[in-house]
Amino acid sequence: MKQKTEEMLHLRDVVFRYHPKGKRNILDHVSLDIADHTITVITGSSGCGKSTMAAVSAGLYPENGGYLESGEITLYGRSVREMNPQERASVMTVMFQNPDLQFCMQTLRNEMEFCLENICVPAEEMDQRIKNTAEELGVAYLLDRRLSTLSGGEKQKANLACLFLMKSRCILLDEPFANIDEDAAWEMVDMIKKMHDTGTSFLVIDHRLEYWIPVADEIIVLGKGGKLIKSGINKDNFREYSSFLRENGLFYPNEDRKVHENTEMTRPMITLKNLTITVGEKWKKKGQSEQMLTDMADAVFEKKRISAVLGPSGSGKTTMFQAILKQHAYTGEILIGDTPLHKIRRGKLYSEVGIVFQNPADQFVTQNVLEEVEASLRQRKGLSKEEKSSIAKELLEEYGLSGYRNYSPYMLSQGQQRRLAVLSVLASGKKILLLDEPTYGQDYSTTISIMEHLRRKVEHECMTVILITHDSRLAKQYADKVYRLKDKKLVDITGLSDEDEVKT
Amino acid sequence: MKLEKWNPSVKMVTILICVLILSFQYNTVLNTTVFAVMLLSLFFFSEVNPGKVAALLVPAGFAALGLFVMGLYYAKGSSIPVKAMADVDMMPYMVRAALSTNLHTALQLATRLLAYAGMGIVFALTTDGEYFVRSLMHQCHLPPKFAYGILAAFYLMPFMARELKNVQLSFRVRNMCGNALHPNVLFTMLVNSVRWSESEAMAMESKGFCGAAKRTYCEIPEIHPADVIIAVLCIGSMVAGIFILGS
Repeated sequence: MKQKTEEMLHLRDVVFRYHPKGKRNILDHVSLDIADHTITVITGSSGCGKSTMAAVSAGLYPENGGYLESGEITLYGRSVREMNPQERASVMTVMFQNPDLQFCMQTLRNEMEFCLENICVPAEEMDQRIKNTAEELGVAYLLDRRLSTLSGGEKQKANLACLFLMKSRCILLDEPFANIDEDAAWEMVDMIKKMHDTGTSFLVIDHRLEYWIPVADEIIVLGKGGKLIKSGINKDNFREYSSFLRENGLFYPNEDRKVHENTEMTRPMITLKNLTITVGEKWKKKGQSEQMLTDMADAVFEKKRISAVLGPSGSGKTTMFQAILKQHAYTGEILIGDTPLHKIRRGKLYSEVGIVFQNPADQFVTQNVLEEVEASLRQRKGLSKEEKSSIAKELLEEYGLSGYRNYSPYMLSQGQQRRLAVLSVLASGKKILLLDEPTYGQDYSTTISIMEHLRRKVEHECMTVILITHDSRLAKQYADKVYRLKDKKLVDITGLSDEDEVKT
Repeated sequence: MKLEKWNPSVKMVTILICVLILSFQYNTVLNTTVFAVMLLSLFFFSEVNPGKVAALLVPAGFAALGLFVMGLYYAKGSSIPVKAMADVDMMPYMVRAALSTNLHTALQLATRLLAYAGMGIVFALTTDGEYFVRSLMHQCHLPPKFAYGILAAFYLMPFMARELKNVQLSFRVRNMCGNALHPNVLFTMLVNSVRWSESEAMAMESKGFCGAAKRTYCEIPEIHPADVIIAVLCIGSMVAGIFILGS
């Protein structure tokens, strides 16, 4: 009996796939036990079924899709399938990767009210409970702002606060730091620690172990088909396992080694002069004002170089890309080569500049992985059909996607989709690439292979790459030039360590 | 009381009744008066940005003009026979047309459209979506499943607009047509929409939302006497207007 109360999640021989008649099981005879009152982190190579396992554990699948062939899933001793959403929410709530798709109300206060209504909290208790939670977690300043105007980091914090408010026994986080910057991620880790101290259990799915090593009670590694390969890793015995993790491409070595050094100047490819970008609603209500993202910012992105742009989420990095692609108004000057942007016609601009979006599902133009790459190859002139097909296959092989050739791009996991998106843009043979968070959700080895591939392309094909990332270590390792968007300016921080940066 | 505070369900019913009454009247002056009253009430009893009203009035104005021209030249039943019209062909066509009762019909059609537009704008711009849906849930017994689904979709709009822009851009940068109505773009948006709604539904469900189960409500919109008084006043003055202005 004691065993039962201590066990939070119990999976026994779970077999799950998306199509009843499909051949590939996403979860292939998975068995797992997770103890209560812990912070447990689940990691594994991208596409190994971590997110699916989370959704199945929380009872969201097969209710919302997919087919559970067999297996037993219990939460605190009760079968998940027998519980309705209300009952499940009292034991486990889930936070997902995409911060945009988790709210159904206008402000955090309304959303919190919605959550409390769902679990039948009497109306007169709501205000006090919301106030207490918001103050405890330091999110009171977000309560009455429109959720759609919050940055990714703020949205995730808001969402975490909602889940904590509901006082469920366990909170499941599915790559909670996708699309948010490092500072916000650390703040969230602090929030999670506080919540854990009050008795909440956490089950976390993530690739970035460095956030979790200090706080996790246990790190679990899953392999193909969601099978358990290693468990019981924690901060005390982490060193013993670090070579195992490195071999499996899961751990990011803690070193600031510069992989390539290219300090000499080349020709500027994209120059920003006095760039000012504002956002705001077209028809402002009384008292609303425009928000300035960059103010007279200057930067030079050189040819044959990788440049990185760091900065908190919501600070305007993505909007800067849109401005370069003529999708957002700006004042100041943007030069492509020596030509001012406004003198270049869109068609010409798009034949030279490629982009990978933050949300990779936005950019698929076909319904098949192989065709997706071929569609990009079509932009390169002088290739026969057979050549295209064979190049596409080679590239898919290199990116570990050849097994998914005939899949729809939408059926890939988040990490795989991002890889495919990067791959298709690289295949198009463009001279300038704008990449928005190309490596999030990738395990370490895939991240390295993407960056190495980029590096080769840049050197051999004279490309210019601008990369938006939240991963400052990656930026410092691979980029020849690093900018940080800070106080509405682009500050050149190439070669500065974190301490130096604070000083300047 | 500001128009924003008026109980949305009562507001909706009142406006629907007014629209119905108006559709059985053929009175240019009444139509114009309704339109003017709507505009004035927007300026004096609401917090709406006048620019927004103007932006909505432009298409309505064009539609009204279109109806006017159509009614003037192409309506059936001109009071003057075609032959008589042909005899006075030294007169410009405009004047000849104006002589006919078509002018009357045309004005009626055009002003009626403006009156409808006025009422529509009053409802659309002074009603908070969330308040409206809550009110529908309690006053018109809309099931919570639909109510919160509508709200979620409503607040997803800015996100969807942004995503559509990205989708269009990704087609364009690959030298493909990025028109919002192009089948490829529509297909991508459709697939994405299904995925978004699925994620959204899962997020709501994981927060304990369940269409069928019992729930509490933080705030229940009520119908106050003032809401009803305004409704009666509106409908009453409409009916009075019919008698005073004659039909």
